[in-house]
Amino acid sequence: MTRVYVRMQKKVKAKYADELKLGDIAFIQAPEDIKQKFQKVSIHTVTKKDGEFIVIEGFLLLSILQKVFPDVEFELVGPTETIIQVESRKFKPSVVFVFVVWVVLFIGTAMSIMNFHYDVGMPEVHETIHYIFTGERTSQPLWIQIPYSIGLGIGMVLFLNHWFKKRINEEPSPLEIELFKYEQDIDEYIRHYENDLNDDRRHF
Amino acid sequence: MTDVIFKLLEALVGFSSGFLFGGVYIGLMIVLGVIPRMVQLIRLRRFVTYLISSLMLGVFTGTVFSFFDYHTNFTPFALVFWGFFHGIFNGMLAAALVEVLNVFPLLARRLHLERYMLMLLMAIVLGKIFGSLIQWLFLNEIIKQFIISS
Repeated sequence: MTRVYVRMQKKVKAKYADELKLGDIAFIQAPEDIKQKFQKVSIHTVTKKDGEFIVIEGFLLLSILQKVFPDVEFELVGPTETIIQVESRKFKPSVVFVFVVWVVLFIGTAMSIMNFHYDVGMPEVHETIHYIFTGERTSQPLWIQIPYSIGLGIGMVLFLNHWFKKRINEEPSPLEIELFKYEQDIDEYIRHYENDLNDDRRHF
Repeated sequence: MTDVIFKLLEALVGFSSGFLFGGVYIGLMIVLGVIPRMVQLIRLRRFVTYLISSLMLGVFTGTVFSFFDYHTNFTPFALVFWGFFHGIFNGMLAAALVEVLNVFPLLARRLHLERYMLMLLMAIVLGKIFGSLIQWLFLNEIIKQFIISS
């Protein structure tokens, strides 16, 4: 009896009406001569009803494979589900759209930093510090305020580890980790809720 | 006699509020990730304890500055140094707050802007610098005059 190892892929992209074969959604470890045969097995055809995400459980996959190859023993390693993301028409953000979002963020942060400064009473604190250092009172202590503004930007760049495309060092920045975590959370949610095996009204 | 008791009570109130604020302050710095990030960025793990002492001394100095009416006669140039480092610290704080609010993951997923992430990040950085500068250069004065005149 041949033993075949199946390692499902985490996430696969597909288009509407695609026929997904085993080779598309999983890596297979099998003797070379029969490997081709396994990879051509049709697992699922994307239909309109499927929506944007399809989850294929390893358990379902095994039952399909067992039906086609009753005399082969399959073993599942790695991820237990594959998420298939059905790409509808591709959304391509235009330059104008990116620019609008850019301006929103720019104005938004400019306003929020001003609100923050008034909130914590920073103008008064700067005036006091100016008085403590130099002994003169002024309502515009620019000697502290302009370096402060420049430092503000440098601090953010340091924290986020990015100056446009340039990176300060190799490790991922908190932003990249945050994006990664968010993506993972969504995948986990999909794995649970788009999985027919977890559905009370299962339809297979 | 009652005088002494009230003074002691006042001292107790002062001490306990200071105790709490100190804890809250350090906790905030660590929870927001400013200190861990700094330690990780410049690979200072061995010196963490010294960094904490810097925070404590800083808080103490700030308290002295805000309660005592005393001044030296440095040139304003000394303030450049002070303001610059003040800005770096606040910049890290502001970046940490953007992180916590999770604006970016939403932009990436909902608006499909993954490819333009860095550009948008720069919008936030430049926005902070710009906002801060126009406030100090123009807005602050105008608002003060408005308050005086009304």
